[in-house]
Amino acid sequence: MPSGGKKKRKKPSRKKSDIDSALDQIGDESVAAATAEFQDLVSEAKGDTTELIRQNAEEIERRLDLLKKREIDKEDFDHFLENQKRDLRVFIDAQPAQAQERAEKLTLHILETAAKVAIALI
Amino acid sequence: MNSTLVSRNAFLCAAAILIASCGTATFTKSGSDATIESLRSFHLAFIDEFAVPGKKFNATAFNAKVNEGNAKFQEAIANDKFTARRPVFVDLKAQFDADAAHIKSKASRGKVTPALASEMKKDVNKTYDHALGR
Repeated sequence: MPSGGKKKRKKPSRKKSDIDSALDQIGDESVAAATAEFQDLVSEAKGDTTELIRQNAEEIERRLDLLKKREIDKEDFDHFLENQKRDLRVFIDAQPAQAQERAEKLTLHILETAAKVAIALI
Repeated sequence: MNSTLVSRNAFLCAAAILIASCGTATFTKSGSDATIESLRSFHLAFIDEFAVPGKKFNATAFNAKVNEGNAKFQEAIANDKFTARRPVFVDLKAQFDADAAHIKSKASRGKVTPALASEMKKDVNKTYDHALGR
């Protein structure tokens, strides 16, 4: 994800979630890069997309919690991650054609990155 | 005089076509919305019937319901008049296929939990809301 030489975007102020705190503690380089990319993409999102990303982050957190409590297993967790991708595909396909590319970048890409981070946390 | 009359008639025809097409588009979209709601009800009922903790898996009943679902989704994809929605119907069918496969895998091994069923239904509702642009 490009960052050097670009003008700085103002990041939206928001309360740190559990997943954010967990992300801060990750030392592995590839995950750290994914984390930086995730945070960069989130800062680009606006309006409905922001709400969608927030909703997806909450779902990942809730399901990580269910997984820890053994109320669901890893197969279920993976199924729900794939469901989120399918849901985002529905969200994108329901957008007007001219908005689809941007929506795709901001949603599917963010989810893939978030999933990578979440899996590293398990 | 004659050309003014022709121009006026052409304008009125164009306006009538525009008004009629707007009405048709609205009607078509509301019909498409109703189809999505009908598929949502079927999908949720499917989860309620087969993602039940402790319930013995009935393969015959399960396959019959999956076939019924496949027919409903295929019909929606083929017949929806609001063509811009067609990719969304294809996406919803993919969601149904994935849920059916997961339920089959879990229920046949007696591994359905209350949280699994509950989370699956949350996902279904969210996805169908997005399909409707909500």
